[in-house]
Amino acid sequence: MEIQKYTRLTLFIALSVVLNLVESVIPFFSGFIPGLKLGLANIVILLVLYVYSMKDALYVSVVRVILVGIIRTGLFSMAFFFSLVGGILSVLTMGIAKKTKLSIIGVSVIGSIFHSIGQILVAIFILNSFNIVYYLPLLILFSIPTGIVVGFITKSLIKYYNRYLEND
Amino acid sequence: MNKYDFILIGVVLFVFIGLTIFINFNSKSGNKALVYYDNKLVLEVNLDQKRQFYNVLGYNGNVVILKENGKIRVTEEVSPYHICSKQGFISKTYESIVCLPNKIVIKIEGKSNLDGVIG
Repeated sequence: MEIQKYTRLTLFIALSVVLNLVESVIPFFSGFIPGLKLGLANIVILLVLYVYSMKDALYVSVVRVILVGIIRTGLFSMAFFFSLVGGILSVLTMGIAKKTKLSIIGVSVIGSIFHSIGQILVAIFILNSFNIVYYLPLLILFSIPTGIVVGFITKSLIKYYNRYLEND
Repeated sequence: MNKYDFILIGVVLFVFIGLTIFINFNSKSGNKALVYYDNKLVLEVNLDQKRQFYNVLGYNGNVVILKENGKIRVTEEVSPYHICSKQGFISKTYESIVCLPNKIVIKIEGKSNLDGVIG
């Protein structure tokens, strides 16, 4: 049982890395606000959080950041720490939000917002400049649509995944 | 989606509007741009009307900065996504251009109520 679960989590990690790479070549809004992304990898994290547990979601998220660091952005680069802190903060807040009366859509929006907040915190620390905090309102605003899209996609995926687990 | 989700989205929108109003309330047009490389001040530009290009050495090579009509922007740099040259002109004290791959930060200075806080 344990082995089966970790094999599946590993597949989810691979999936989230691929989604991250796919996302990095779509210049979706990047010309518009620096650093804005859809957050497709969050679909996987959210699914693991709902089907398994917060601990597993944290595990998938951290391993994903390390792998993306090795493949694309460079291990221990600035982008690496941005994703690491954003990812961890996002999973922790989604874990807490899941225990409230919010549906998966609301939880996804929370995760999206705190991903931005985590990144801004790292940026303030690395760049030693408080000015970057002025990006926060716009990042928060765009967290709503991206969070809702990710939430709806994950909601329907969980339905299929649970059906697959039952038939297994 | 349930009613709590809508409440959450409402609260988030409220926070966004609040922050935006707060920032605009505290902002003024700056009169000086400071260019930093790796947290060290490398260039000071007076934001007057004259059109002028500046060259600054970034981590990946030359960064070309343009000053015009009291505004400043990055026009050319070497980076994977060209985020800071796509950003365009800035002129307000709360705005900044951050070019992470080149370790270049451009800040605007002027008389702002937030100066004491930002430092």
